[in-house]
Amino acid sequence: MNVFEEARMKLAQLHTRRHFLKSFTAGLGGAALASLVGGAAYASSGLGASSGALGTAGVGGLLGLDPLSPRPPHFAPSAKHVIFLHMAGAPSQLELFDYKPILAKLDGQITPPSLLEGRKFAFIQGAPKMLGPQAVFKQNGQSGAWISNHLPHLQTVADELTFLKAMHTDEFNHAPSQLLMYTGNPRLGRPSLGSWAVYGLGSENQNLPGFVVLLSGAAGPDAGASVYGSGFLPTVFQGVQCRSQGDPVLFLSDPDGVSRDMRQASIDAISKINQQQYEETQDPEILTRIAQYELAFRMQMAVPEAMDIGAEPAYIHQEYGTAPGEISFANNCLLARRLVERGVRFVQLFHWGWDSHGAGESEALNFGFLDRCKETDRAITALIVDLKRRGLLEDTLIVWGGEFGRTPMLENRSGQDNPFVGRDHHSDAFTMWMAGGGVKRGFTYGETDEIGYDPVSGRVHVHDLQATILNQLGFDHTKLTFPFQGRNFRLTDVGGRVIREILA
Amino acid sequence: MGMRHSITIVLVVVLLAGCGPAKVDFNTEIRPILNDRCVTCHGGVKTNADLNLQFRELALLGGESGNPAIVPGDADGSELIRRITHANVSDRMPKDEAPLTELQIQKLRDWIDQGAEWGTHWAYVTPVKSSPPVENPWIRSPIDSFVLEVLQENGLEPAPEANCNVLARRLSLDLTGLPATFDQATKLCETGNYEALVDELLASPRFGERWAALWLDLARYADSKGYEADRERSIWRYRDWLMDAFNRDLPFDQFTIEQLAGDLLPNPTTEQLIATAFNRNTMTNEEGGTDDEEHRFASIVDRVNTTWEVFQGVTMRCVQCHGHPYDPFVQDDFYGSFAVFNNTADWDQAHEEPVLREFEAAHQAKGRELLGKLDAITAAIRDSITSPTMSKVWESWESKLEDPLEVGKLLNTSKNEIRRIAAKPKADRSSYEIAFIQNRFGDAEPTLVGLREERGKIMGEIGKLTPTITPVMKELPTSERRVTRRRERGSFLSPAEAVEPAVPKVLTPLPAGEPANRLSFAKWLVSDENPLTARVTVNRFWEQLFGLGIVESSDDFGTIGIAPTHPELLDWLAVHFQRDLAWSQKGILKEMVLSATYRQASVVTPLKLEKDSRNQLYSRGPRFRLSAEQLRDQALAVSGLLSKKLHGPSVMPSQPAGVWKNPYNGQQWVLAEGEDRYRRAIYTYWRRTNPYPAMAMFDAPSREFCISRRIRTNTPLQALVTLNDPAFWEAAEGLAAKMKASGGSTGDQIKVGYRMALARDPSPETLTTLIQLAKDSSLPVVANTILNLDEYLTKE
Repeated sequence: MNVFEEARMKLAQLHTRRHFLKSFTAGLGGAALASLVGGAAYASSGLGASSGALGTAGVGGLLGLDPLSPRPPHFAPSAKHVIFLHMAGAPSQLELFDYKPILAKLDGQITPPSLLEGRKFAFIQGAPKMLGPQAVFKQNGQSGAWISNHLPHLQTVADELTFLKAMHTDEFNHAPSQLLMYTGNPRLGRPSLGSWAVYGLGSENQNLPGFVVLLSGAAGPDAGASVYGSGFLPTVFQGVQCRSQGDPVLFLSDPDGVSRDMRQASIDAISKINQQQYEETQDPEILTRIAQYELAFRMQMAVPEAMDIGAEPAYIHQEYGTAPGEISFANNCLLARRLVERGVRFVQLFHWGWDSHGAGESEALNFGFLDRCKETDRAITALIVDLKRRGLLEDTLIVWGGEFGRTPMLENRSGQDNPFVGRDHHSDAFTMWMAGGGVKRGFTYGETDEIGYDPVSGRVHVHDLQATILNQLGFDHTKLTFPFQGRNFRLTDVGGRVIREILA
Repeated sequence: MGMRHSITIVLVVVLLAGCGPAKVDFNTEIRPILNDRCVTCHGGVKTNADLNLQFRELALLGGESGNPAIVPGDADGSELIRRITHANVSDRMPKDEAPLTELQIQKLRDWIDQGAEWGTHWAYVTPVKSSPPVENPWIRSPIDSFVLEVLQENGLEPAPEANCNVLARRLSLDLTGLPATFDQATKLCETGNYEALVDELLASPRFGERWAALWLDLARYADSKGYEADRERSIWRYRDWLMDAFNRDLPFDQFTIEQLAGDLLPNPTTEQLIATAFNRNTMTNEEGGTDDEEHRFASIVDRVNTTWEVFQGVTMRCVQCHGHPYDPFVQDDFYGSFAVFNNTADWDQAHEEPVLREFEAAHQAKGRELLGKLDAITAAIRDSITSPTMSKVWESWESKLEDPLEVGKLLNTSKNEIRRIAAKPKADRSSYEIAFIQNRFGDAEPTLVGLREERGKIMGEIGKLTPTITPVMKELPTSERRVTRRRERGSFLSPAEAVEPAVPKVLTPLPAGEPANRLSFAKWLVSDENPLTARVTVNRFWEQLFGLGIVESSDDFGTIGIAPTHPELLDWLAVHFQRDLAWSQKGILKEMVLSATYRQASVVTPLKLEKDSRNQLYSRGPRFRLSAEQLRDQALAVSGLLSKKLHGPSVMPSQPAGVWKNPYNGQQWVLAEGEDRYRRAIYTYWRRTNPYPAMAMFDAPSREFCISRRIRTNTPLQALVTLNDPAFWEAAEGLAAKMKASGGSTGDQIKVGYRMALARDPSPETLTTLIQLAKDSSLPVVANTILNLDEYLTKE
């Protein structure tokens, strides 16, 4: 940036921010974040500065700033980045982490009515049979964590992980449960976890989106783009899907016949004419637009560079099991590392195909499920090892899990003998794990009963998980709020407890 | 009120400080203190210590201490004052928080000593029309007088009138959503007949397309049902109804009545039935294992919330679970409205019945005949179920419902409701519940299989005639009415006492002597006594033209919404709209665009940036980025690609591959053929879980719920859309082709392109820059550049 440009940028910032400087100079800690959002409301409603961001006008205040400029959270964070590995469809905890030898003994027995009363199932009807673990388990590392042999690579990094064995949720269908996991509410329309994070923190790297979404598997997440949408937050905070085929970000490539030089000349012309326009009208919004066009131009270079895993050395491809140009979960894991390395705040992966009902081969615990394990095991392990090697694991929080768990009972939809084995949706108990980002290493929190059906200790609700993730990013989850339809909304709705027991 | 009044108040306080306390105004001075510091714990959500400070009678009553919180005329004897000034920190209110300031305490004291009068919030008082306050040659409309008064008070002058070319473009974008042509602008410059252009644009069919777009966000219109599978819904006839309603200037009272209750009008027309699809835009859940009644409940909640937000600017959503935290609405008020909407026949079914079926001319006779047969067979099934012989079979069926295997045979998504009803003694069941459980029995009873197959066959034949389907409102017959119950904490699973249809007690009641239903509710909304409908509506129009509403929180006219910047102007507009113009939407828009306020140049000065940075005083003309829809439409119009086709099913213009990737839904994005690829944005297929990228990036919502205002953003991803999206690039190529075809020098061609885009000539500097660019690149790149200039993306 030359001196002229720098001066112009400064002027732009000054002009667009002047109106809101008062709230900005206070910094963004605690109540000041609220005043950033509520700023304009105070002036007209007469509420004092101690109030809790009540006005709906606050939005104007927010947008007076560059909404993606980096800003500090409420308190010193333990994690600067989050990589959330979502296994869409909900993997079975009973075949991966929650080892239940007694369930093996009960295999094939008819489930007693006492276990069925008052439960809601998506598909199980009548009285199903119990289903023993469809995996061989062993204890791993110094922590002795149980991980099944379906995940041989992950077994080698067991001591990096904190398991949450008694997760529970309120929803037993995929879309509402994914929405609850990401937006704190089972219905559509609320902002997602990544959007809240970028709303609170801004973006470290202005040449890349702050919140990136990477999809693999046969379909997108069940609730569609809403699980990474911005809900009622400004759309600037929504997750940007980066893709391995086609444009890595929609509309990133110049049209055919437009060279980089031509694009450069065109952006220069746009900036020059917009600058004249600014001099005539003095509308500060024009300066923001000039900056955004120049940023878009830089993004056109920065995003393909970040997304080009071909540049990685052979040993990295070996470790992750990656092949450039494919749409794969492994590629997305490697991309996650590259993005975090470049300052992206929140990287959200979805890998579809874990819905192991056993109604067909692709969704059977003894077939498709094993494929999903193979597709993910090596890459996830490589991601942990690679981040650690680069010193990035300590400020990157990795979260792994599905939207709920699966029943200890066999689901047999057709009622006939079939070669495929599966389990139904189960919202009362499932396993998730975390690594890095200020959580304990080699630790297990929570326990389920002897068949893995209900938590017996250390229950963690989805809102607790969200509160904990926000805590690691430096936020009091009750204070990261946005006014909408007459009240302040937050990710954790009216719940959420930070799981202090797992913090390092 | 806002800043102007608070300044006045401060002055008054200072002036009177020496001669006894000034009269304290509850609304501007006391309520903000209560809202900010008290009612969180002593109000609609919580009433700690049994104290509620939201209503005067409750506050005078006091809480569990037994002492009245407020004794009018006696601050020292009021428990409230005692507690906020308590020397013991642990007894001092607000509990565990910073104390009130001395000024706040003094205000409260003075107010109590003066009698502790409770003012009604301005928005719940019927507006009156005040006389325009000032006179000045600048004034063209009473609007200007109200605006000028505030400008003068703030030491500001209006901006000069905008240049005629700029004005023509502004006006055309505002009224039709499309830019003015160079010819239109030239004509305005030559004749100076501004009003003629206004009339021409108001009469254009494009007017309805532009204004329906605003209403689609409010109505949460989409071409899909929402939730997981998010399958297709056919409801585009409602969008067309909206466009037509705007084009024929359907008065807003009738516009309201038809959308909320068109089906209840005497002999409703097809159009009036289609209008009721407004509240059929709620989502429908098709997932396995869900509870239909729960999701039906959710849609009624949404209808209540949406109706109150759209027509009244009231945030009723809070009141589903508890009293409103700030505004004078109690939980019963929510369920009073719920009861108004709770007796329609839809119940969260994939088929979305009741639906309107419209047959094309050739099939009408046959279609009518089949619909007659369908009614007959439905009645026959109903008769069979309710016959005396069948009632025994039904009862034995019902007694087996606790058996899990028997339940397994029921329709998965209705079994919970069936079991809930079956668990009730027969005498406690509502007539709806009795009919519901009979009908589900009818779905399962083996001896009725013949009749069911017959019905299926008729449905199949109707389907073959491919009628256009639109979900509509249909009231349940009196023999099948639901009973509405308040829900503890708003939970669907916690029904409490029965509630009758009603409107909130703080507002005037529904007219006596008429049935309390959707129709009387809709008429009440547009009655002379309703203080909100006209204000909320004129404010939306104003917001569209000027960028911000006179009440900036256009979704919330309540006590924590933002007070109007120009209260007298708002009320003048509301009364003018409602009375003088008899609710003419074109009329009120015309009044606004004819004003001198609207016609100002959008030029900022340092003084104006300092005193009026967001143009809330209207010290200059509006200047802000176009909406997602306007951007698409403008690109198509300027490049000559735009299809002028009105009406019809939604279409799929160019969209990158891989955007639609939903599980359990095989529907594909199929690129439209021919002119359908170049239709206005309002016709673009709207799927809730996968919004059209170019629109979503420009702040279009996904429309699961009512959105009153889009928050404008300015991001680099937006630049990528207008620079590179193939749909926008195609527009640039189209414009380049026209530039080239115009012949002449490069400079001449660029001038032509610039005129097409902006309805005026480029400045010499701009022309020079673009000519240089043409040398460095190509004509399509130059066109693409023009279509990315700030002035082009902006309404100025």
